[in-house]
Amino acid sequence: MKRWARAGSGVALVASLAMAAPAAADEIVIGGAICLTGVQAPLDEPGFKGAQLAVKAINDAGGLLGKQVRFINVDGKSDPVTVGNAAVEVIRQGAELIIAPCDFDFGGPASREAQAAGIVGVSMCASDPLYSSWTLGDKQFTLSMWNTTMGATAAEFAFNEKGWKTAYVVTDQFIAYTKSLSKYFVEHFKALGGEVLLEDIYTNGDNDFSAQLARLQALGQRPDVIFISSYGTDIAMIVRAIREVGIDSPVLGGDSYDDPGLWEAMGPKFGSEVYFVTHSWMGSEAHPDMARFLELYQEMYGAPPETAFVATGWDTVMMLAKAVEVAGTTDGDAVAEALRTTEFDLLTGKLDYRSVEEGHMPDKAAVMVQLTEGKPAFLGWRTPTNPPAP
Amino acid sequence: MTAFLQFVVDVLALGGAYALMALGLVIVYGILRLVNFAYGELIMVTGYTLFLLGGSPLPWILMAAVAVLMAVLTGIVTDHVAFRPVRTKSVTAVLITSFAFSTLLQNAALLLISPRPRSVPLPDIFSETVRLGGVVTPVRNLITIATAVVLLALFALLMKRSVLGLAMRAAAANFTMARMLGVPANLVITSAFAISGLLAGIVALLWLGRSASVAPGIGLEPLLVAFIATVIGGMRSLEGAVIGGFLLAFIDTSLNHLLPQDLLKFRDAFTFTAVILILLWRPEGLIRGPAAGRRT
Repeated sequence: MKRWARAGSGVALVASLAMAAPAAADEIVIGGAICLTGVQAPLDEPGFKGAQLAVKAINDAGGLLGKQVRFINVDGKSDPVTVGNAAVEVIRQGAELIIAPCDFDFGGPASREAQAAGIVGVSMCASDPLYSSWTLGDKQFTLSMWNTTMGATAAEFAFNEKGWKTAYVVTDQFIAYTKSLSKYFVEHFKALGGEVLLEDIYTNGDNDFSAQLARLQALGQRPDVIFISSYGTDIAMIVRAIREVGIDSPVLGGDSYDDPGLWEAMGPKFGSEVYFVTHSWMGSEAHPDMARFLELYQEMYGAPPETAFVATGWDTVMMLAKAVEVAGTTDGDAVAEALRTTEFDLLTGKLDYRSVEEGHMPDKAAVMVQLTEGKPAFLGWRTPTNPPAP
Repeated sequence: MTAFLQFVVDVLALGGAYALMALGLVIVYGILRLVNFAYGELIMVTGYTLFLLGGSPLPWILMAAVAVLMAVLTGIVTDHVAFRPVRTKSVTAVLITSFAFSTLLQNAALLLISPRPRSVPLPDIFSETVRLGGVVTPVRNLITIATAVVLLALFALLMKRSVLGLAMRAAAANFTMARMLGVPANLVITSAFAISGLLAGIVALLWLGRSASVAPGIGLEPLLVAFIATVIGGMRSLEGAVIGGFLLAFIDTSLNHLLPQDLLKFRDAFTFTAVILILLWRPEGLIRGPAAGRRT
């Protein structure tokens, strides 16, 4: 009897699974496992807003392949296992394309589930080169430049453009992103002929830079540039600590600096001669379509975007839509092929994916931004000549 | 010599902050035998209050006073929401309610304000430096040391000389006996939470003053620091918490100075090894508290 009951519940489960895939024939479902809570939320939430906006724009313009697009997201809660489950859930609800969180550790599980289901998955802004077809499969991509590009762009800006020959490098041991960004900066900076005076270590959350500062002061010479790869409020703390004691060497960093909250925290007093590489710039000088994007954003959310990261979500959806149009279907293999063969002109720069064998490496342009008295200025697009191999 | 002086100032500034954090945690633990896992959020609340007041024309000291007051209120609310309804029932229940309250506050900040960092207003003096025997150090560090000394002294005075202090010490020693002798339990516990909020609020000003910013998860590190410091110093002793705070700052700063770069990545492993060694030597922490009484 018990066995029958179990079999019965098994049947019921299968039935409910079958019934819970209600993707109507006249719509295309995009599924997200984007993290709206937890440590990943600062990176994912802006992209989520951008993605919602893009879906609305596509539907207002008549949809995709004659169908309406529906975007469903299950909060990944900044937990790799939950992200994987969220991806499974949205796929069960009929998602044919997956949007993954902005980081290899948190986004990888969503892409693995997408790959297992035979559909395309794209991370909005994971920049570690681990986010590749090598590790995740032939239908998985990241919209972001890799840290190879980000690090190399920073190095070329420092050495070639500014003529800075010596560097002091701080690496936060927080996540794969903070570690690999420093690694590629150092590699490329040395390859160009620069000298790294000291590579120092910082632990995220310490909120204390005194020992590192003592070593920096004991170097005997001022470095031409200080490269800091960190994350969150710690960036503001480190920059303030360095500037407070009167060291005014230029500070250089990656896309984690792209946050008005941090610029304000550095303020008019300490927020000068700070440069960073990021994905885009929220102004019409960055891209001809930017003005329209900003207008739509203002209309939907009633305020201008907080950070350029909103463009990553918009671009992910728009790029997927373009690829589906090229492929004429949402079939995983066809869309992946379209992504590899099409060149995209996005708000976050021109993008061309390499082959499966080359890891789906994104050939992508980066934006340089300069802070002066805590106010950002767009320096332009940069593409490194030969970024280091991952 | 200057390097040594620099080191001493760094340790004292960090240790002062750590000691105040630890004291705020242990004052509640001492009486309830329960860790308030929503403790870090008191620091977050202070930060966000400062952020929200940031645009206002108020002088900074007034903003800071309001922010600290918010931390005190949040401390009292923590007691009423997470502890009082369940504290007589089971330890597990309180563990869960205090975690839940912490999550609730963090997510409220995340949803109502933003998951991204926000800047907090600081007085000019927090951005200035002084030269002290050849050492250039931020004035903020000296303020931290002075604040720690003054607060610790005031706190000691309160505990030793006032009726409330006497009641709290009695409650910490043997809660049931204290109640039987007429110490009002709820008042003592609420006072402990209020003092905990006061300490957290003031230390938050100094702690957030380093980065001038606040984020929803900002309270995690202070909670961890306070917890480790109290474990080293003795979970039941107020003096222990203070000593634990300074000792932890000394261990961390020394390791930061002494370890070569390759090993610095694993600094926390060294810190915790030191903590384990201390606990092997003194399982109850460096300072023993009063003889164990029963929980409420």
